[in-house]
Amino acid sequence: MTEHKSSNGTVPTLSAAAEDRLKQLVSRYPRSKSAIMPALYIAQEELGWINDAAVHWVADRLSLPLAHVIQVATFYTMYYKQPVGKYHIQVCRTLSCMICGAKDLTAHIKQRLKIGAHEVTNDGVWSFEEVECLGSCGTAPMVQINDVFFENLTPESLDALMDRIEKEQPDLRYSTVRQDLGAGLSGEPKSRLYTAPVES
Amino acid sequence: MKHLKILTANVHHDDQIELDAYERRGGYQAIRKVLKMDPAEVTAEVKASGLRGRGGAGFPTGVKWGFVPKNTGKPIYLLNNADESEPGTFKDRLLMERDPHLVIEGMMIAAWALGANWCCAYIRGEYSFPALMQQRAVDQAYEKGYLGKNIFGSGFDLDIVVHRGAGAYICGEETGLIESLEGNKGQPRIKPPFPAVVGLYGCPTVVNNTETLAALPWIMLNGASSYNSIGTEKSTGTKLFSASGHIKKPGVYEVNMGYPILDFINNECGGMRGDKALKAVITGGSSVPVLRADELEGVTLDYESCMEAGTFVGSGGFIVMDETTDMVEACLNLQHFYSHESCGQCTPCREGAHWVEKIVGRIYHGGGSSSDLSLIGDVTKQIAGHTICPFGDALVVPVQSFYKKFPEEFNERIDSALVSQIGNTHV
Amino acid sequence: MSESKELVTVTVDGTAVQVPKGTNLIEVARKAGVEIPHYCYHPNLSIAGNCRMCQVQVEGMPKLTIACNTGATDGMVVRTQKVSEDVAEAQRATLEFLLINHPLDCTVCDQAGHCKLQDYYYEYNGRASRFVENKVNKIKAEPVGPEVIYDGERCIVCTRCVRFCEEVTETSEFGVFNRGDKSVIGIHPGAELDNPFSGVVVDLCPVGALTHRRWRFNTRIWYTQEVNTVCTGCSTGCNAKVAVRDGKIVQVKARLNEDVNKEWMCDEGRYGFDRFQPKHRVVGPIVSGMDSDWTSAVNSSKALLGGEEPAAVLLSPFLTLEEVWVAMMFARDVMGLDAASGNIAMQLRRRDLSKLEQILVSPDYAPNARAAQLFGLCGNEESWREAVERHYESVLKQISSGSAKRILLVGEGAVAEADCDAALVKGLRSASVSLALCASHPESDPVAAACSVVLPGRTVHEKNGVMLNRDARLQRLRMLLQGPIGTQPEWMLLANLASGLGKKILPAEVTDDRGLFRAMTGSLESLSGATLVRIGDSGIELEEAAGGKDGSSDPAAV
Repeated sequence: MTEHKSSNGTVPTLSAAAEDRLKQLVSRYPRSKSAIMPALYIAQEELGWINDAAVHWVADRLSLPLAHVIQVATFYTMYYKQPVGKYHIQVCRTLSCMICGAKDLTAHIKQRLKIGAHEVTNDGVWSFEEVECLGSCGTAPMVQINDVFFENLTPESLDALMDRIEKEQPDLRYSTVRQDLGAGLSGEPKSRLYTAPVES
Repeated sequence: MKHLKILTANVHHDDQIELDAYERRGGYQAIRKVLKMDPAEVTAEVKASGLRGRGGAGFPTGVKWGFVPKNTGKPIYLLNNADESEPGTFKDRLLMERDPHLVIEGMMIAAWALGANWCCAYIRGEYSFPALMQQRAVDQAYEKGYLGKNIFGSGFDLDIVVHRGAGAYICGEETGLIESLEGNKGQPRIKPPFPAVVGLYGCPTVVNNTETLAALPWIMLNGASSYNSIGTEKSTGTKLFSASGHIKKPGVYEVNMGYPILDFINNECGGMRGDKALKAVITGGSSVPVLRADELEGVTLDYESCMEAGTFVGSGGFIVMDETTDMVEACLNLQHFYSHESCGQCTPCREGAHWVEKIVGRIYHGGGSSSDLSLIGDVTKQIAGHTICPFGDALVVPVQSFYKKFPEEFNERIDSALVSQIGNTHV
Repeated sequence: MSESKELVTVTVDGTAVQVPKGTNLIEVARKAGVEIPHYCYHPNLSIAGNCRMCQVQVEGMPKLTIACNTGATDGMVVRTQKVSEDVAEAQRATLEFLLINHPLDCTVCDQAGHCKLQDYYYEYNGRASRFVENKVNKIKAEPVGPEVIYDGERCIVCTRCVRFCEEVTETSEFGVFNRGDKSVIGIHPGAELDNPFSGVVVDLCPVGALTHRRWRFNTRIWYTQEVNTVCTGCSTGCNAKVAVRDGKIVQVKARLNEDVNKEWMCDEGRYGFDRFQPKHRVVGPIVSGMDSDWTSAVNSSKALLGGEEPAAVLLSPFLTLEEVWVAMMFARDVMGLDAASGNIAMQLRRRDLSKLEQILVSPDYAPNARAAQLFGLCGNEESWREAVERHYESVLKQISSGSAKRILLVGEGAVAEADCDAALVKGLRSASVSLALCASHPESDPVAAACSVVLPGRTVHEKNGVMLNRDARLQRLRMLLQGPIGTQPEWMLLANLASGLGKKILPAEVTDDRGLFRAMTGSLESLSGATLVRIGDSGIELEEAAGGKDGSSDPAAV
């Protein structure tokens, strides 16, 4: 992640790849305003969260009012309105996960990390929140860490997973900028990570 | 019972995500055929198939296409609604992850029938991986010349854009989706006008669910009569059900419409996990009324039977709960979902969703009283039907149906709350 | 909305009305004499449909529908809260919902007394809220611009303010941030609501979420007298409702008038409403710089009487139409001048406007300058503003060159402040007589100071009359403040002076402003169809005021 200072009122320049990516995206839509959501993703990926610099960047590149960018960013839950850890855990809390043990996962995370929801650990590695249905009900309970789903978890397997992540520090983003399949833990076949529940 | 595999015939092949593998297994044949047909013929075929919208509303797809006015001079847009956010639903994810070219071919067929040259797959933001797989497949199709200009030498141009949402259930509502895609908050529009007339950028627009679109290649290859020979009279074809909860084999299953619910639980789902007793089932995602175990006998998975039983097929989000489930807690869980997802635009939903959650919450936490039940009745009555979009109707479903079906669990909470309050006065 | 002219018949609560097809049901009901309560709807903004207060029952529709988004079709049968218990119950519920997160701080809220939540709750609900949980805490008392302050807890998210800034000013300062019951109106932390019409959002806010910073906590509205008048900041003549308390203007609201200002008003006009009140007043005749009396003032004005000496008359654009009429008669009967003689003019200086200001503001500071055209002071040119200014400059030159010897300046603002240079002062001083009728005391007004006689006039807020706006629309100007003792409206000063000089310019029965209006309309063919009742609160076009046009067919004219 490139470090950027959020200078008040000025528009930051993001990486060349990000700027190119946005230009390419804008050209795909009939109207450039439609690119606001991908633009916010790009800014978030580069800046870590939707800070003021991100708002200015998106507003400038798409010629939109600042208030509009904020209202869109604050409407959707996946744009972080405050900094998150390097690994942001989202625990699905909705019905199917709940009845299959999601509360145990949350309790375990709180116990292990000693932080509350939307807080970041002192070392900046972890943060977590409970989120609504992630569409992984057949593999409940589950969490999403950055972009990757980890399914069929127990407190123990989640604990082991977090140990591995701390040790290996993998890139768990499906980058909006890079657009490749680079994410994943070492030695883990992708098909395992992304198991879709298919009837046996 | 032998179920026809229309949508999931190839999802178990790991290489199905590749264009050549898809094509080798018969893919991109339907579109070649369709491009030689008159668009009106395609619409007529889809209408005849009886295919109904698989996102939840169950509106006949061909009829929906027919609402699009012709020759307005404006472009027509096709939007693939892959904002699969209904709790308990994960079927479109399977299609995008495991057979993304099938979805593309479905979009191509619908686009041809509608005369749309720009099509967007709006995929919920949390589905990063499905979006990536869908994008990958679209890229392959462009590379091969199957998308872009002059598709298969037909003179037909089609662009497909994969667009990710960012965490908002309401974008699954078609006008919320359109607003979101236009670059706004995903707040549903007041209707009329309807999207078929005034949709994306003010142009005629059709929004179809991913599963609906994915059924099109098979229908066009095999004919409407093959499709409507499966299922029941008003529920033709097959449907994906996403099974989750206290069952042995959760997952996505494609079954013929009209399949008995109990067979589905006992066969496909493998029966109850830990061999506990079945308590309740939600057949079509959290927005449809819950059914008690004793109501399931004779109910089949199709629009008519579910409706007769007082519920809906909905999105096919099939959630099974066993005897250990606390129905007040389950209800509170869903009411929290709805208050979290209320877009905040119109008064009854913005304020009412949270109020309902708070009332159920105090019942659950032991602070409820018997008057809360009539209050819930009043409040939910004034939310349903009084909002801009169907979210208001959906948000009252859990509390209304859970209380109706399991009154003793609510009453027990309230009674024990009274006891503990009386007890406290003696301390 | 449909542009169709086709008329359809709609029945509202049993009353049939004819309206153009597609007219929304709020307006249809209004025509049928039924008020449908609403918050988010505004006739000049897009339809949001979010407040759900305007639900009605339409025969044949399965559910209640919102009136604001339902267009009239022929034969439509509509039932409102007055006859339908379902509708009344839905409105009661909507109000209860709105009150869930609304603080009950009416005792300290500026909006109390003119709050739609308060009013409707009283009228359409009147029950205690059943909500017992904690309300959501939101942003409070947050200045959002130089003039406007926001209270998120009071906000009912009707988005009128957001839509105004998007659709009318196109400045888009506001957005609705967050979602669900956390929704608030927001502005980028580094930005301000500082467009030239920022105060309009306060008018549009149906509750006390947006209030005026400068008028915050200055009064309870029920202690004020609210007067319907027009803004006199420029010749647009925006309709305004001005709250007056203890001789002070304490609040100004724009008033809805489709033909003039929609319901908009510029900040300069609104917040500068009392800028026409000079602090230091002339309260008695002043002759040669000394406090004097009427007799000496009349004696010192004798040189005005028709003679060979060249004369110049400058009229203030802040005079009422009646006063301009009286001044013209004075010029004719006392000074022997007429409009064609080229030495009577009205003060007008054009000004530059930003593109945004041009949506409403006129390029002048001359509310009644169009009257100059009515009285033949600028020919009949299309570009009347340039012509009035040209004539003004010409008469100004007659004074500053020293050629005009009999000089009459009628009304506060007869000379623009910037035009008061040394030459002008010299011209005024060297005249045989220079008479100023004005409100400012010579000690604070160099023009008055240079005049030989000064008579105590009134400001534009201290008189009743009619004004002619830029589009030649007659509108009523109403007295907001009492003039100080000793002052008189300019028409009265002129009439009294004329009779002192032995000329009778007004009939004896004219003793008040109503009589004056009647005398004017009785003598001018172009105004013979105008009555104060017809002009009413929203004005009439000059064309309609002409005799016989349609005056007799209008029942209000009786």
